[in-house]
Amino acid sequence: MQQEVRLKSCRIAASWLAAGVLLLGAAVPAWAHHAFGAEFDPNRPLLLKGPVVKVEWVNPHTWIHIEVTNEDGGKEVWMIEGGTPNSLLRRGLKRDTIQIGQVVIVDGYQAKDRSNRANGRDVTFEDGRKFFLGSSGTGAPYDKERRGQ
Amino acid sequence: MRIRVLIACGVLWVPVWATAADDMPRTPSGRPDFSGTYDIATLTPLQRPERYGDKLTLTEDEAAALANREATYIAGRNAPTDPERAAPPQGGDGSTGAAGNVGGYNAFWIDRGSGGFQIDGKWRTSIITDPANGRRPPLTKAGTAAAARRAKMYRPNKGEAWWIKEGVEPGPYDDPELRPLAERCLLGFGSTGGPPMLPVLYNNLKRIVQTDDHLMILVEMVHDARIVRMNAEHAPDDVRSWLGDSVGHWEGDTLVIDTTNFTDRPALSGATRNLHVVERFSRLDEDTLLYQFTVEDPTVWTAPWSGEYAWPATSSRVYEYACHEANYSFGGILRGARILEQEALAQTDDD
Repeated sequence: MQQEVRLKSCRIAASWLAAGVLLLGAAVPAWAHHAFGAEFDPNRPLLLKGPVVKVEWVNPHTWIHIEVTNEDGGKEVWMIEGGTPNSLLRRGLKRDTIQIGQVVIVDGYQAKDRSNRANGRDVTFEDGRKFFLGSSGTGAPYDKERRGQ
Repeated sequence: MRIRVLIACGVLWVPVWATAADDMPRTPSGRPDFSGTYDIATLTPLQRPERYGDKLTLTEDEAAALANREATYIAGRNAPTDPERAAPPQGGDGSTGAAGNVGGYNAFWIDRGSGGFQIDGKWRTSIITDPANGRRPPLTKAGTAAAARRAKMYRPNKGEAWWIKEGVEPGPYDDPELRPLAERCLLGFGSTGGPPMLPVLYNNLKRIVQTDDHLMILVEMVHDARIVRMNAEHAPDDVRSWLGDSVGHWEGDTLVIDTTNFTDRPALSGATRNLHVVERFSRLDEDTLLYQFTVEDPTVWTAPWSGEYAWPATSSRVYEYACHEANYSFGGILRGARILEQEALAQTDDD
């Protein structure tokens, strides 16, 4: 099942590369709590889509859990690694900012240990708005700015 | 109250009080009170970009450009992306540093400040002020050799157990204790706890709690707590700790902290157990501290080097950083290495 998700994503990646499109926007920190290069496999690119089932607001890194439906209709939960929740808290975001069930799109790479974990190079909602920044009606500072409050 | 303190302290204190700002917060014993929370994030780099040469300061335009570049970058990173996008490239996305060819994460996790810092109304080109070029001095022969040894244990991430193929023993993942201290949640990365304490990618808050006998500096990242014993002697030479042994004393209104007794792996990249750091805290204005430091490690650098930057007070809070509680990554890294090793060995057998 897990392999199918990966293979499907690789096929998509191959066609995308053939089109010569460059994806911009992945953060490239010089230093972080740990090297993502040590944890994730560049030979296992992924594109995952599904509803959020849980967000772990934990350090050193936040983990967003999403439920992914495979081509055969089977479901599996993937954990997406982000950054420190402390940065989000300082932006005024709270645990309940993200509602369970909101569908997100994630691109990243699967963990080298082959578990259902991946890094979230870019985590967005279905319309392309950034996760956390893109949720509306939350009362978070960014949300208010967007609505001109 | 102040008059009584002055009388009690004698004439020695008079010049100090005479030069101090009237509104400087002070402890009941009359010392400058540095207690508070500070957000030390700055876009000004530790080492000066070589194009500036010996130039210490930025013009207003240059400082504005620095802030604008970051604001533009963050705005771009926060803009929506194509929801029809595909998976990233097979073989890696070419990213470097900690992102390691798989990319990092979105900008909303990052908090490295919105501008440079000023001292005496001047924007700075770098944190390092000595040597005059704002860059660390050359490495010693031993320092060069150590850097080469570290580089030998690193390869770009290709998703394979290169250490098996190249016969490197021990491999970088053979023992948990070979892994970086930050990965193990023992210290924050990038010398955030130091000393010297340097700005990093996020979690740049520091909280100072001050008494007459001790100073505590809480570092948000990994909540390292530096304990400074005032007017004390250093611990015996064989007593070593991650953050070193810090003792403090006052020179007028400046707090001086002397730190030695590091382990073989101080937080400062490249430094050794012979590291010696002197830090100075003073007050730039009511809301800002001046943090100065001098680094000396004759094993690694051919000369001491010094730097300084501003620590602005913040109303924000230091949040918990319970690193061990959810360090899922560490187990994943070691398990991943085992799987890659099995694949490399199987491939060797096939050959």
